[in-house]
Amino acid sequence: MTDKAEEEQQLAKVWETPKGWSILSDVNNSTVGKWYIGASFAFMLFGGALALIMRTQLAVPDNGLVSAQTYNQLFTLHGTVMMFLFAVPIFEAVAILILPAMLGARDLPFPRLSAFGFWCFIIGGVFVCGSIFFNSAPDAGWFMYPPLSTEQSGIGADIWLLGLSFIEVASIAAAVELIVGVLKCRAPGMHINLTPLYSWYVLIVAGMILFAFPPLIAGDFLFELERAFDWPFFDVSRGGDPLLWQHLFWIFGHPEVYIIFLPAIALLAMIIPTFAQRPIAGYSWIVLSAIGTGFLSFGLWVHHMFTTGLPAISLGFFSAASEAVAIPTGIQLFVFIATVMLGNVVRTVPMLYCLGALASFLIGGITGVMVAVAPFDFQVHDTYFIVAHLHYTLIGGMLFPVLAGVQYYYPFATGKTLSRKAGIWSFWLIFIGFNVTFLPMHLTGLMGMPRRVFTYGVDRDWGLLNMVSTVGAFIFAAGFLLFVWDCVRPKRKEPYAARNIWNAGTLEWVGRVPADNWGLRSIPQINSRYPLWDDKDLQDNIDNGRGLLADASEGRRETLVTSVLDAQPVQVLRVGTPTWLPMMAAIGLGGVFILATWKLWWLTLASAIFFLGVTLYWLWTGTAQIPEKPTKDIGDGRELPLYVAGPRSTGWWAMFITMTGDLTAFLSVVFGYFFLWTVNEHFPPQGVDGPGWQWPLVAAGLTLLTWGAMLGSRLTNAAGNVVLARSLIIAGIIGAVLTGLALMAGPWTTGLDPTLNTYNAIVWALVVWVIAHLLVGIIMQAYCLARSIFHRLTPTHDADLWNVTLYWHFVGFSGLLTALVIGGFPLLQ
Amino acid sequence: MSPSRAPNEVERETGHGVDLWRVIASPIIWALHFLFCYVFVAIYCEKLGRPTDLTAAKYWVVAATVVALGAIGWLTLGIWRVRARSVTDNDFEFEHNSPEERHRFLSHAALMLSILSAVAILYVVIPALYLSTCR
Repeated sequence: MTDKAEEEQQLAKVWETPKGWSILSDVNNSTVGKWYIGASFAFMLFGGALALIMRTQLAVPDNGLVSAQTYNQLFTLHGTVMMFLFAVPIFEAVAILILPAMLGARDLPFPRLSAFGFWCFIIGGVFVCGSIFFNSAPDAGWFMYPPLSTEQSGIGADIWLLGLSFIEVASIAAAVELIVGVLKCRAPGMHINLTPLYSWYVLIVAGMILFAFPPLIAGDFLFELERAFDWPFFDVSRGGDPLLWQHLFWIFGHPEVYIIFLPAIALLAMIIPTFAQRPIAGYSWIVLSAIGTGFLSFGLWVHHMFTTGLPAISLGFFSAASEAVAIPTGIQLFVFIATVMLGNVVRTVPMLYCLGALASFLIGGITGVMVAVAPFDFQVHDTYFIVAHLHYTLIGGMLFPVLAGVQYYYPFATGKTLSRKAGIWSFWLIFIGFNVTFLPMHLTGLMGMPRRVFTYGVDRDWGLLNMVSTVGAFIFAAGFLLFVWDCVRPKRKEPYAARNIWNAGTLEWVGRVPADNWGLRSIPQINSRYPLWDDKDLQDNIDNGRGLLADASEGRRETLVTSVLDAQPVQVLRVGTPTWLPMMAAIGLGGVFILATWKLWWLTLASAIFFLGVTLYWLWTGTAQIPEKPTKDIGDGRELPLYVAGPRSTGWWAMFITMTGDLTAFLSVVFGYFFLWTVNEHFPPQGVDGPGWQWPLVAAGLTLLTWGAMLGSRLTNAAGNVVLARSLIIAGIIGAVLTGLALMAGPWTTGLDPTLNTYNAIVWALVVWVIAHLLVGIIMQAYCLARSIFHRLTPTHDADLWNVTLYWHFVGFSGLLTALVIGGFPLLQ
Repeated sequence: MSPSRAPNEVERETGHGVDLWRVIASPIIWALHFLFCYVFVAIYCEKLGRPTDLTAAKYWVVAATVVALGAIGWLTLGIWRVRARSVTDNDFEFEHNSPEERHRFLSHAALMLSILSAVAILYVVIPALYLSTCR
């Protein structure tokens, strides 16, 4: 037994949380997850307070509580905060907190990346929210339509654009973390068909983020170029089109609704089986409908643009897809209902919230089917009917499930229990308040009240309904405050919750109370979907260290990496330890975005250099470390490698996923090029003959050479010819510099002025995009060269070179496509 | 907890069988079809003007639909029978801990997604059949 006690001491020491102020340097998923959830809810309360001011203003006709200008800022910030600072981040937060325990991992594969994402989120969030106290908050609505936002808004639009671009970084960081986590960090034996449904949803949603967020990043890129440098992408007088923004925004915006909705009902998929005390009825149906919803949700974006004058046939396609998405969404709800019907339901507070969610979301879903019919939408577009619809979907589909999740996972996260009485009271106050607020809005909207008006006349007869909504809003808020108080009230004197308090079947509940920092004492073999129900010895085996990786004898934080489909152990992954670097990096990157808002270019550059320095130090000291021995015994007589490079490594997948998102953003800019071609009769405009085909052809050739040099470098390095590999990297650096110069030479020598018309601007935008990527690529090449010279990158330990070569595959493709489009497409005209 | 087996079924090896790419193949075909229909008709209408007759565009949309449904049908045939048994045989739970069971689970999900994708494609093509001009 002393061996076992010693193992436990090792684990406790290695996974110890930093003390005092140093706790802010912690990167462990349970600490960062709790901060993330707390911060999201804080922003949510702020957004709720803004809503209460708006409801008070609208309570009676001709009210003068706030001015029209303030009201514009209020509704813009309310929408922005709820969507970008609560709905999306809360998904990332909850996933970071519970996913490792659910999968039987000690931590997520990149804990420092989670911490970096969190700090980005909090800095960007405070920046965007704080602007209202200086009367400079964004005021053009949360979807920032030009020309209003490009022509009239003050600095608010820049704050919105740059602040949110920064927060999108956090979302993509989370997507990388969660996809790799679900696919590669499951406990041994947890085949993909035994994976908890929550993880399936997380995987799908993280995949959606990669295709949904980048179009918005591309949109932000074009938008900020127009605001800061007067490049006319959305200016009709110079050949631009405001609809381009609407497309890019809603290609993001509609999938985003499902990015919010799916992980929230994923919580229902965990809670309902627990309280029905039976497995979910129809596991594969949930998986297929979640994947189906994920895909179909990308075919809906134009239903936000039904009244923009697109051809009826375009509306028809999107109307049809909007109806079709109801099929997989409905399947999920029926599976939940079937599970409840087949089981013996335990009456608990989380279950109450689940039922509230199903009832409310159903109403939102049905009005959704109504507004998906274009002629009906023409009538209610931009009225309070839409306000009612979207709040029913978001509050029913997201807020209630998340509150159910908080009630359910509170003992898991804190070790203490919430008050049942307070829970029931808060539920009924919230549920009644919510319906009293939003149900009348359907009618207010049908009576013609447009959204976003700051007041209305007595003769409109909207007064009574608005007063009812306002009263409801305060009941809603009272319930919410009760909920929050129950969560944050001191519970030091209360006893700890019982272990597996709800008698749940999934792995996250096997841990001791209070929870250990290291997660599970040892990593078990999993044989079913509900291991706690099916394997009565599981808890005992884990507690007594009779699983894998039961020690930390080298004093390193370690978790198991397993294969994607069948979860066979393939590697012991050493994960990051507490450090200030993620926070410093986030401060540096935050500085770049915030200082750029005021066009303080020198300070922006200084901040960028700081960010770069911190990031390089972080990579140099923390990633792809050559281990002291090639393999480690994980118990059970199995030896697993400690260092893996290429497609079998987590780092390679992280690069692949990041660059997939990046490629989506690039393709969105290319989409912009062709969109502007369709709306202009002459594209290129008459009299413009740039950038010519000659320089783009040279650039294409140089791109291929650079790309080939990097691939050659990886192959020769692996073959043991280090000198040739280093020479090829140097050749690659020179090639990259020349590629950038050749790309610029085309529009430069033909005198394309980007402020003159939209064609010139989009050509330059593509060139700037690729050049930015070339610059990052050059830094990576130099990094590999340095790693090689300092023997941190060797023929047998070449993960860095694999990842950088992968990066160059994407940049090479982007460079080629850019050269082809800007040089070749005008020839076809 | 060993799964019941069909008489001529063999034990599948770890990592072999239907993978996640195969599962999302049909939805990807839906996405490509959708994108083609939308982009093609948008350019057609934008470049030829709103009063234009849609008949020529309809042929393209219908042709794309035939190709897409054909591709999905071909994929579906490939997964309908999995190692000597239909994926709709037996139970729908797929809850055993073997590579074969995982393979059958993913096949089932892929099969259902093929059906959903085909239905969604049919939905999308309906408006193209009823509208006659670019207005």
